[in-house]
Amino acid sequence: MTHRLFMLDVPENTSIAAVAEEVPGVEVDRIGPYFVIASEEPVVIDRRATGARHAVWYSCIGGLDGCRIVQWDKDALRLERR
Amino acid sequence: MNHVRIGLVVPSSNVTVETEMPAILSRHPQASFSFHASRMRMAKVSPEQLAAMNAQRERCILELGDASPDVILYACLVALMAAGPGEHQRVEGLVAEQLATGGAEARVRSSAGALVEGLQALSARRIALITPYMRPLAEKVVAYLEAEGFEVADWRALEVEDNREVGCIPGDRVMEAARSLDLTDVDALVISACVQMPSLSLVEAAEQELGLPVLSAATAGAYSILRAADLPVDIPGAGSLLRADSLQPAT
Amino acid sequence: MSSLSDQHLVRGVDHAAFPTFDPSGTVRFYRDTLGFPVVHSICAAGWGPDDHPDFIHFFFDIGNDDRVAFFYYFGLPAPEVSKGDVYAQFGDETPEWFVRSRHLAIHVDSEDHLLEYRRRLDASQWPVEMQIQHETIESIYTHDPNGYMVEITRALRPVTPQEDLDANLTIDALVDIVQRPGAGMDDLLVRKAELIVERAEAWQEGQVGR
Repeated sequence: MTHRLFMLDVPENTSIAAVAEEVPGVEVDRIGPYFVIASEEPVVIDRRATGARHAVWYSCIGGLDGCRIVQWDKDALRLERR
Repeated sequence: MNHVRIGLVVPSSNVTVETEMPAILSRHPQASFSFHASRMRMAKVSPEQLAAMNAQRERCILELGDASPDVILYACLVALMAAGPGEHQRVEGLVAEQLATGGAEARVRSSAGALVEGLQALSARRIALITPYMRPLAEKVVAYLEAEGFEVADWRALEVEDNREVGCIPGDRVMEAARSLDLTDVDALVISACVQMPSLSLVEAAEQELGLPVLSAATAGAYSILRAADLPVDIPGAGSLLRADSLQPAT
Repeated sequence: MSSLSDQHLVRGVDHAAFPTFDPSGTVRFYRDTLGFPVVHSICAAGWGPDDHPDFIHFFFDIGNDDRVAFFYYFGLPAPEVSKGDVYAQFGDETPEWFVRSRHLAIHVDSEDHLLEYRRRLDASQWPVEMQIQHETIESIYTHDPNGYMVEITRALRPVTPQEDLDANLTIDALVDIVQRPGAGMDDLLVRKAELIVERAEAWQEGQVGR
């Protein structure tokens, strides 16, 4: 997988990981206490679908490997190839 | 020659500490001293007046701080000891904090703490004591010293409540009390546990007559001031405590 | 090496001190409104080399034996404050989020306790200005009579061990990248991903035996 997003496994983030898992082409795996959200293609996660409050939404990303953030606002998080 | 400024916090009716402390320290071989007193109103040595007097401490320290003293002595022993064990550490700590907060570099001592320090310097464990206080206050002084780890073998309370009268207690009355004490196995005699009861002229004579180290609130205060000022303790004619650093053997 | 050399020995905030030009308002806010007892005071003068007015240093108990303290200097003129507080003033160009970044946050144990302080403040002349749920905490905010921002906060849940790991990885990543010219969040997240790959698995295994 060329895109990997790392996200800490805490209760506030589980719904975000669950929404990511539903996105076509995305696999959610784990490394230690982190979710690894992996994909070959650009990934879009819809904030409203996650139900995350703003403070949670804007602090959910733990690390980026192979991708960069091109959108991270009240609507969505969008990752593309670096 | 070193000059040392001494700030004294004294009860307003005290006339002895400002007499005895200069008399002792003027005999110091290496330093000169000046004395700057601030007074707390107090006439009767009663628990109520002692508490009211302690409430004036902060003002006195403010006044003394302005004179940039090197050492400040809180010169009322019973006012602190009557408040219960540990009070001299507590009050010295508060005064030190007040001075340090304002950037003053004065060292802080109290006659209550100085007596403990002097007895420890003499390696005394079993002691005897003469106080001018009324019996209930004298008992508090005894209990305070016992809480500091000393065994008070025998003691006398001369029961003078008016502090002005305390300043006029004749020396023979104090000596008479000293001779009446059971001094068996006693390591040191506190001939006056009060900076107001005159005793300086008695200390050396009592030491010769009774054959044991004798100290007073005043000689202990002088000892503590010299230690605080980092000066040698070498003053003749005021008891063995004040010859602690003397090269002359004690006679 | 002494037996203390590898221990975390400190025990919280002894006191945090601030100047005030309004001691009576400060007492009304901390003691009379919030109910923080006055626990200590010092009357002193400036005895050091600097020219220094007489002053009062006074302390309020903020729980846990910790204290917030103030200095009141007699005769010192108060600054004009349009933005900021009596200690630090800012021009209009300084953004509000920067001004608010320095603040005192005081902990409470529960929602009931948070709301009790909200009640006390709302009944005073310093009502709560914001109540916000952050990621894992809930806080109320107001400004004291000196312009200092005061936060009262509670945890929505205990901090988990993995959050401590995550914080350490973030800070290690930050320290690694911050000297690079133009370093930004993207650099941090890329560096942190490397640290996660390096360390997260081993950390998890280390937790199993606990």
